[in-house]
Amino acid sequence: MREHKEIVRQSIENSQMRENLTRAMHTLQKNRANVIKSKFSDWEGLRERAKKAKNDALQNLGELLCEFEKNATKNGFIVHWASTKEQACEIIYELAAKHSVGKILKGKSMASEEIGLNHYLQARGVEAVETDLGELIIQLNNEPPVHIVVPAVHKNRHEVAEIFSTHLGAERPKSTQNIDPSDTSEIQRLNQIAKNHLRAQFEGLQMGLSGVNFALAKEGAIWLIENEGNGRMSTTAPDIHIALCGIEKVMESFEDAATMVALLTPSATGQFIPTYNNIIRGPRRDGELDGPREVHIVLFDNNRSEMLAHSDFNEALRCIRCGTCMNFCPVYDKIGGHAYGTTYPGPIGEVISPNLFGMEKTGDVLSFCSLCGRCAEVCPVKIPLDSLIRKLRSHKIGQGNNAQCEVDSISSLTNSHNNLKSQSTHFGENFIMKSFSNAATNGIKWRKAIKNAARFNGFLSSFGGILPVAKSWNKYKDLPQIKGDLHEVCAKMEGVKYE
Amino acid sequence: MQEKVYFYATCLGSTVAQDMALAAMKLLRHFGVEIIFKQNQTCCGQPAFNSGFFNEAKKIAKYNVELFSQDLPIVVPSGSCAGMLSHDYKELLGVDSIESTHQNAEDQKINSFCSRVVELSQFLEQIGAKLEDKGSPIKITWHSNCHALRVQKCIESSKRLLAQLKNVELVELEYEAECCGFGGTFSVKEPEISNAMASAKVADIEKTGASFVISSDSGCLMNIKGTLSRQKSSVRGLSLYEFLLARITGGAL
Repeated sequence: MREHKEIVRQSIENSQMRENLTRAMHTLQKNRANVIKSKFSDWEGLRERAKKAKNDALQNLGELLCEFEKNATKNGFIVHWASTKEQACEIIYELAAKHSVGKILKGKSMASEEIGLNHYLQARGVEAVETDLGELIIQLNNEPPVHIVVPAVHKNRHEVAEIFSTHLGAERPKSTQNIDPSDTSEIQRLNQIAKNHLRAQFEGLQMGLSGVNFALAKEGAIWLIENEGNGRMSTTAPDIHIALCGIEKVMESFEDAATMVALLTPSATGQFIPTYNNIIRGPRRDGELDGPREVHIVLFDNNRSEMLAHSDFNEALRCIRCGTCMNFCPVYDKIGGHAYGTTYPGPIGEVISPNLFGMEKTGDVLSFCSLCGRCAEVCPVKIPLDSLIRKLRSHKIGQGNNAQCEVDSISSLTNSHNNLKSQSTHFGENFIMKSFSNAATNGIKWRKAIKNAARFNGFLSSFGGILPVAKSWNKYKDLPQIKGDLHEVCAKMEGVKYE
Repeated sequence: MQEKVYFYATCLGSTVAQDMALAAMKLLRHFGVEIIFKQNQTCCGQPAFNSGFFNEAKKIAKYNVELFSQDLPIVVPSGSCAGMLSHDYKELLGVDSIESTHQNAEDQKINSFCSRVVELSQFLEQIGAKLEDKGSPIKITWHSNCHALRVQKCIESSKRLLAQLKNVELVELEYEAECCGFGGTFSVKEPEISNAMASAKVADIEKTGASFVISSDSGCLMNIKGTLSRQKSSVRGLSLYEFLLARITGGAL
């Protein structure tokens, strides 16, 4: 708990980060609103269709995974299965070792962050080089992504210039004073520095790694969207391409995936369509002049099948990683993504982290939510995030519903374990809520509590003698005053029956 | 026909926001509505529900369903509590997933309770309340409570009532849809984050140049007022119901 408080304190103190994030999130919010207004006539209908398509896919996940394996293999993919993140890392490392590859160029992949690939490879002498601009910036600065779509969005141009100068030996800008915010010349200069650096990295490219946005069962293909062209570079130029894919990314067909893509970039960045759509149908064919000679796909579980079997939380597997929920979260932009301590920050992170990585390890993030409900309102696949966060809080204190739902069994494919574990060490809060519920179900006790509160003039200190609560409030905000005689006044009011 | 309703004072209305609760009742009386005030009324149970204490919240929900059993509207001077009573109770008590043809008497009672809950602005609109502004020209801004906006969906009713007041100029916040950082127990569990959110809200409020920030939720108002006063702002926070009453009766703000 102390550690949690310390994390919050440090995040809040970083006012530069907060300023950068708030500005960026407000821009992304406006962009989303603009594109929906100008380009879509039935956004809500599209959301409904996407929700259904993804639900159907999840209901038949075992079947679709098998169909995908069959069709992808037919197309020349080599399909690998991994239950755990370690297994997924191992498969990728073995491939690098087999081909004596010392450097893997990566397109942006949150899945690779989730399985801790870079560190795994580094410990075994293989370098993973990030080629996405945002990922490059944070890799140079040795930081994890702050956001799942825009990983370095917490850095402004001055901070990026500093990182490039420190780690790439780039020149510092001539002046940082009085720069007109609409003047983009410095940003162009920084882009050029990154471009030159990456071009050198791309030379001698042998192995590329990417994530997967959608795996298409019927077509046996993978769909990857990106904006910088580095994804296309990493997947077409090298001899070997490895795609890392969570098992929940499988969709029935191209048409279903197209519905998701139509929602993805408008939600994520406010773009109507992605700059690059890469639909990959396996390695280079006979007679073709380019493309990788080997394409591997690693399908990994890492507790997704457990989540799928959980009737309370399987809806969250609909997530298409657009990041909109964090763009709109009033807590996320105040504390930044690092405070969440896992790969997935923001509302979706609060829901999937306890499911994927365990309540014991990540349950603290559940307090990063005021339940304002804005995330669920904007989620393109209609995940009721606030409601799921509330349910997870219930699990955390040991009141969760453990109903398992009947879905296609995929445990034979993935063989995973690890349940949601509840913590029952919330004695203080337990006591407060029991006292609260006792008073709130008894009019006499309740009125007495109000009287007491009025006497001490601190409503927040009334339930269960929880003075720390009033103290937390009073640290930043003035406490209100209490009169405490509403009932007496009501009883005498004309036209009011006090009964 | 004279309307007769239950008045649900809410826990904050019985304590820190007593003036709000009284103003709300006076508004109802102003339009000739007869009020039943249950002396054993308590709280909707949101603090327990939102903290994941579903068992405790269920007890409170059932208590409320029993207490307000007559077939009368339950008028609530808070969009947030109204949302809990009208919508979240269904999820909490598990009646949202049962088809109406399969519901037993208890389920029907819960559904009847939920369907009778109405936020005060919505109720005033329903009875066709006409508001005549007796106050002098004033510039205000408006804070939308998240639950009122997204669950009870009563913000438009509140704004339409304000729009009836001819001397009131409403300047909307740039980031109106953003939470003020109250969130019930959130505000005391994460006081630093709550303060950062409240401070952002206060900055947005001050930018409007309004002299009052009006809201239909006592929790948000307690949060915003506590922050305004700590930051020595000259802007005043006031409940929608106190504001409306003062404007139509010519009372002081």
